[in-house]
Amino acid sequence: MRMLFRPGLFVGLVTLLCTYSGTTWAALSVFACEPEWAALVEELGGDRLEIYSATTAQQDPHQIQARPSLIAKARKADLLVCTGAELEIGWLPLLLRKAGNARIQVGQAGHFLAAEYTDMLEVPDKLDRSLGDIHASGNPHVHTDPRNILRVADPLTQRLKAVDPDHADDYQQRYQAFKAKWQDAIDDWSQRAAVVEGKNIVVHHDYWSYFTHWLGLNKVATLEPVVGVSPSTRHLAQVKQLLEKQPAVMIVDTSYMNDRPVMWLSEQTGLPVVTLPATVDYHGGETLLQWFERLVVRMLEPLK
Amino acid sequence: MNVEGLDASILAPAFFAGLIVLMTHIPLGHEVLRRGIIFIDIAVAQIAGLGVIIAYTLGWQEHGVESQIAAVTSALLGAWILSSLEKKYGKHQEALIGTSFILASTGGILLLANNPHGGEHLKELLVGQILWVEWKQLVHAAIVSLSVLFVWARFRSKIGSLGFYLLFAIAITVSVQLVGVYLVFTSLIVPALATIGYSAKSWPGLSVLIGICGYASGLILSALLDLPSGAVIVWTIVVSALLIKLVIPSKAR
Repeated sequence: MRMLFRPGLFVGLVTLLCTYSGTTWAALSVFACEPEWAALVEELGGDRLEIYSATTAQQDPHQIQARPSLIAKARKADLLVCTGAELEIGWLPLLLRKAGNARIQVGQAGHFLAAEYTDMLEVPDKLDRSLGDIHASGNPHVHTDPRNILRVADPLTQRLKAVDPDHADDYQQRYQAFKAKWQDAIDDWSQRAAVVEGKNIVVHHDYWSYFTHWLGLNKVATLEPVVGVSPSTRHLAQVKQLLEKQPAVMIVDTSYMNDRPVMWLSEQTGLPVVTLPATVDYHGGETLLQWFERLVVRMLEPLK
Repeated sequence: MNVEGLDASILAPAFFAGLIVLMTHIPLGHEVLRRGIIFIDIAVAQIAGLGVIIAYTLGWQEHGVESQIAAVTSALLGAWILSSLEKKYGKHQEALIGTSFILASTGGILLLANNPHGGEHLKELLVGQILWVEWKQLVHAAIVSLSVLFVWARFRSKIGSLGFYLLFAIAITVSVQLVGVYLVFTSLIVPALATIGYSAKSWPGLSVLIGICGYASGLILSALLDLPSGAVIVWTIVVSALLIKLVIPSKAR
């Protein structure tokens, strides 16, 4: 502890701090709320961008602990890329206010929300407080359908070009390359996963709606209809009854969630649990392609 | 190491939030320890939260003045009940406080059983995170805290047990929204606990020293190590308390 207060170290630290903040970054600074958008923007901008992902693959993007670096990164960002659809509603408005960075405020070119460019599932017909969980914009976990990644990639490329027009050609080229690569991958995954079409599954929470929609999986039941609230005994009994009528092939869980409810159901029904990786392990150096490959392989495992 | 977060404009509001919390929590914490009712802060904070949840389920606005009124009213009501319980069952006060905490928190779960989204919002409303603090919030909190401190300093002997409970309820409702439950508990208990056995002249100064060192070094460390600030400060306050105890031995020993 005392080490920290040595004058020499202190002077050194201050010098370091001054030189550090004096450095001007040639690179465009991107603040991504979730790793999937960090990984996507890296595909489109490569080394030209300095990318920061506010959450990791192991984290629940609904919630986030405030760290000083988070505000510092938002402050110097030229472009903010988030999911939107109220996913980050608990912290992003606060962060934007604290950061006070005009470039990334709502309505600016530097404020990009992915969910504005995809078709939303589970949008409530009517907004009524009595219905409980109000996600007015629909299910926010759009990145679990690989076709949505492409739908977002195009407008995101346009946005990069608008923010950094000097390198517009470069972004366009990279987009074309990514699009071709990703389209091939989608074809490959669709083919391999075709066996699951129409199969019944139980999900822990509605994280995988876009994924199951893409593959034509049939969700029989949701174990935790509302996140963060343990299912009531009546609900659990209903799920068990439903499963007797419509047998499922697996229980799908999300990597960052507590696995106790699914373990309980698995023990009650004998169904295998498949824990799918919620998003790309960007901090571990994984690419979008590697993550989705992992996702598809993991899902096909119990069907072998 | 991450020097980017070492930015005064990011850390300063959080540090001042800490100072405002310490201002009321050091004297009140001393009293809490004397009375042996350590968990009262958590219970009162939870009761304030329950008030907001009730207001919300009744259809009140979830932000702004209405929820503040709901929080303060229920905290005061809770404090009043706890104070009358103390008169009757003084010996078991800590057990009663614990039970009221559990009732308030599970009451919230039951009320929000069908509305987790609202629950998320309300949790944020009640449990502040020190880094999100804004200057405007600090002005309000400083005014309330100064008033509480003034009443406590001038009229302590006259307001009695009920007066203490009511002042406490107001102080906690304000501070918990600034810095969250963990830091409220730590600011209240740790400086007071560390300075037991020091003379009446020296404990206030030493407590303030512990608090200031704890908040300042915690904020700097959380910036350097890129860790959540609230949790780091809890640890640095405890470390500061231990260091002070080592460096300045109390007379009692």
